[in-house]
Amino acid sequence: MATLYPLASLAQIENTPSKQDGIPDDLEEDLRAYGCKLIHQAGILLKQKQVAVAAAQVLFQRFWFVTSMKQFGVGDIGMGALYLASKLEECPIRMRDLINVYDLLLQRASHALVGKSVDMFQYHPMSYFGNTFYDMKDALVVAEMQILKRLGFNVHVVLPYGTLINYLRVLELTNREDVCTKAWGYLNDAHQTPVYALYQVPTIVCAAILLATRQLQIPLPSEPPACWWELFDADWEDVWSVGGSIMRLYRKRTEEEKNRVVGLVNKKDVRSWLEENAPQAGSDSTSAMSVT
Amino acid sequence: MSAVETVPGTSTPSRKRSKWDEDEGEDEQLTYVPQPKKRAKPKSIRPAPSASENVDSSRSASPSGSQSTGSTSRQKPTHSVYVPPRTHHPPIQASRSVYSYERLNQIEEGSYGVVYRARDKQTGDIVALKKLKLEEEKNGFPITALREIYALMSCRHENVVGIREVVVGDTLTQVFVVMDFIEHDLKTLLGTMPAPFLQSEIKTLMLQLLSAVRHCHQNWILHRDLKTSNLLMNNRGTIKVADFGLARRYGDPIGVGGLTQLVVTLWYRPPEILLGATTYSTAVDLWSIGCIFAELLLKEPLFQAQGELEMLSMIFKLLGPPTKNSWPDYSSLPLGKTISLPSPQPHQFRTKFPYLTSAGLDLLMSLLTYDPEMRITAEEALEHPYFTESPVPKHPDLFGSFPSAAAGEKRRKPFNSPTAPRGANLNFLNDSNLSP
Ligand SMILES: Nc1ncnc2c1ncn2[C@@H]1O[C@H](COP(=O)(O)OP(=O)(O)O)[C@@H](O)[C@H]1O
Ligand SMILES: [Mg+2]
Repeated sequence: MATLYPLASLAQIENTPSKQDGIPDDLEEDLRAYGCKLIHQAGILLKQKQVAVAAAQVLFQRFWFVTSMKQFGVGDIGMGALYLASKLEECPIRMRDLINVYDLLLQRASHALVGKSVDMFQYHPMSYFGNTFYDMKDALVVAEMQILKRLGFNVHVVLPYGTLINYLRVLELTNREDVCTKAWGYLNDAHQTPVYALYQVPTIVCAAILLATRQLQIPLPSEPPACWWELFDADWEDVWSVGGSIMRLYRKRTEEEKNRVVGLVNKKDVRSWLEENAPQAGSDSTSAMSVT
Repeated sequence: MSAVETVPGTSTPSRKRSKWDEDEGEDEQLTYVPQPKKRAKPKSIRPAPSASENVDSSRSASPSGSQSTGSTSRQKPTHSVYVPPRTHHPPIQASRSVYSYERLNQIEEGSYGVVYRARDKQTGDIVALKKLKLEEEKNGFPITALREIYALMSCRHENVVGIREVVVGDTLTQVFVVMDFIEHDLKTLLGTMPAPFLQSEIKTLMLQLLSAVRHCHQNWILHRDLKTSNLLMNNRGTIKVADFGLARRYGDPIGVGGLTQLVVTLWYRPPEILLGATTYSTAVDLWSIGCIFAELLLKEPLFQAQGELEMLSMIFKLLGPPTKNSWPDYSSLPLGKTISLPSPQPHQFRTKFPYLTSAGLDLLMSLLTYDPEMRITAEEALEHPYFTESPVPKHPDLFGSFPSAAAGEKRRKPFNSPTAPRGANLNFLNDSNLSP
């Protein structure tokens, strides 16, 4: 039997290291999602295999259950996760390409931040002999190693796509291309949330099917004793919770919220943000948490 | 580019397979938004799901309906074997420090990684610590070291050495794999034991080896360095396959670019690799198992060649040179045309192994088969009549015990076999066009 993939423990979920450092829940959630989005975009630009990108996002999400965003930035860790996952999936990428792509993505994001239009954006490639390149290279090597160490080298990731196909077959939905497409999309989007570090694959796949079939108004047996998710050993409450996590990705964000994460990609920005904001923002939730 | 703006369900299977779509288009917004428990923190994860608990009765109601615990309570189905309960998954846990262990003695010096015997300070367990070579820092953490750890973790089996954890030292370059300590390695044992293994014992060892390798192959792992010094044996007659330093995943859905050629220690290297094949698969491990089978019978390595050419000529001599029949693809191999074949002659297996039964000989020849397509698989070999004919495999408990060199009880260097060309393999990323 293979080693089971790790999942965050209850204690790790309720009191993440970032939360302990006073980073509010919603900010942590947004920064996780933004970090995953950067991984996704870097994957596109690097023409990397989807399995490597998805695995990188899972490793990235796990990392924040053992490390605070005050200690490492989501940019660096995302870069390290993609570098590492590419090796694990036997499709390694060049350090230099990865660094260039991240540099471009971050430049583009901060360009948009100051309100300039995207058309005006001009990328200024860095020099390979300049400090930026070497700094980013160092950060990348450190990030990769820290991910390995802090995850105890247990970097096994199980992706949900095969399971989705099986479940749709069991539910006799494979002929409904719209269901397959929607559910597949939800599974992909779920990679921007922590659910893969929290729940087992069957639960997440059930949530994707739930969202897809509800949206398309396809009825499935849902009355006890014949509930379709029980075929797949999923608990309703968990399926529901995963569905909620995915749906929260699509809620409207204010411009301010959107810009906030772009400015907090680095740990030093997070630190100065904490100095300015922590006392008010963090106090409520942290005090509630420290009781547990 | 906006920060967190995602449109649901936009990534379709077909689009994903072909390319990475960046622009996410026009898809309609979802109208239905569930409101799971205020803020769906995964509070609902229960550390120990009990057999019976209240299940919400309104589960079929509209998604916006209340999710509070309903009044009906009923038996929750117990988990099937396919989905272990969530609590069976380990938590996310950082590596411990190597100082959790007390170093006892060095087991093996000289070769690539250094292996120590050590004691777990908490439990008192005796373990083996293998220090990974991380000097090659150009491409971050070496992919070979990742493969070794990954393979050990994903191939857990009664006959694969158990990995306990990976611990780290003071600097980023000190990483140790912690394994169960196993008293012997088969190479040292063969060199020091007074009498060779009995047929019944060889059968037991071969069955164990084959079932371990079948398990690895089922989990998409090639070992690629099977040889007697990488087979450990405890005092209870059980073999443990070790040293996954050259292992890697195979059969990934999308091509991974040619596998590197520089694998498998010379004496155990199959003819297709010697002849420059760039694609190879599970059959390489089966050739090595054939060499190990022969070594158990002979009490010394089968092909003790100095170089690749001598190795090939020894193989040609034992098997008879390859023919159109025995290896149709021979001439299409990179070196298939450069090497001049000796004139046709019959194989020498019977002369070399005069005391082996014909079933035994058939198994050996099925393993040491030229054409990797025709070579027996681990699965098939386990069903071979050799294992059911008399004498039957000996129960592992009936194996005698031997003094353990690894535990420092006795130390002797019988013969030195060459090691796999690992240094070259470490440069895998540099060889290809990947170096930054
Ligand atoms: N778990 C273990 N218990 C006891 N001895 C071991 C263990 N693992 C390795 N050894 C000893 O160390 C030697 C080298 O280990 P190995 O993993 O083969 O490293 P290398 O890559 O250097 O060949 C083995 O041949 C064996 O003698
Ligand atoms: Mg070895």
